[in-house]
Amino acid sequence: MNRARPAVVATAFGLAFGFLLSWGTLTDPDTIHDMLRLRDAYVFLMMGAAVAVGFAGIRLLTRRPRRAAVTGDPIVVRTDAVQRRHVVGSAMFGLGWAIADTCPGPVAAQLGQGLPWALCTAAGITGGVLLFQARRRARRPVRRAIGQT
Amino acid sequence: MDFLSDQPPWFVLGPCLGLLVVGLLATLNVRMGVLGGWSDLLDRIDGRAGSVSWKSWFFLGVILGGLVFHIAAGTTTTGVGDGYGWLSREFSPPVVGAVLVAAGLLIGYGAKTAGGCTSGNGLGGTSFGSPAGLASTATFMGTAVAASLLIGVFV
Repeated sequence: MNRARPAVVATAFGLAFGFLLSWGTLTDPDTIHDMLRLRDAYVFLMMGAAVAVGFAGIRLLTRRPRRAAVTGDPIVVRTDAVQRRHVVGSAMFGLGWAIADTCPGPVAAQLGQGLPWALCTAAGITGGVLLFQARRRARRPVRRAIGQT
Repeated sequence: MDFLSDQPPWFVLGPCLGLLVVGLLATLNVRMGVLGGWSDLLDRIDGRAGSVSWKSWFFLGVILGGLVFHIAAGTTTTGVGDGYGWLSREFSPPVVGAVLVAAGLLIGYGAKTAGGCTSGNGLGGTSFGSPAGLASTATFMGTAVAASLLIGVFV
């Protein structure tokens, strides 16, 4: 298999995602603020419709075993049990989301649209990711040694 | 293109995003997510990863999508010109910048801890029917709504 194909396909999906987030004005902090203050149902309805279509589409796709069209891997729908970190991490994330009225996808699309403020949010997110990675490496030196980080 | 200056109806945009989740699984056998690509790219930059992962290409594609939209629509949808949302209505620009960096830290550290952001857990995890994705989404939605209503009390 050509190694470049997954990269091209992933970039195309990303491009479509960034374009659609922009068109839906999810890159505008006021769109998110109005959603989170329960003044406008648009984003809730949109996300609900996205999950309904995603959930149904995945059930249809996996009714029988299939291989991924580009990579050729058997398709696996991986699910995880709830752990404390999912709740604690999501509470932190939700607080940041409410303050900045944006999250990683829209920040990336804001950068593409040339919004200078997105550089501040992106710097913060980058710092948060680096801090998480540094703490995880410090906690799990053995796993790093065998390359499972 | 004029039609791009109007927000598409929720019942058009939502299903399109849902199909992207299905499409990524059907072609690459992966769960959609933006922050994972961000994180992988940082690993690549500091040399911890040997190649650019599919997630990083997806993340770079999202940036490109914003750029292509700007060119195609001839306008942005970031509310720029009105400053940055409620923060600019309340605070001076240096304070807005500092608050955005701090909020970004919470977003990056929190979503990495939870294993996903609004795209990874909110769209990908929930579409997969993953209990962790559902719990994460309920938590960040609940926290964000509560925090925003609280912000609304003060501003």
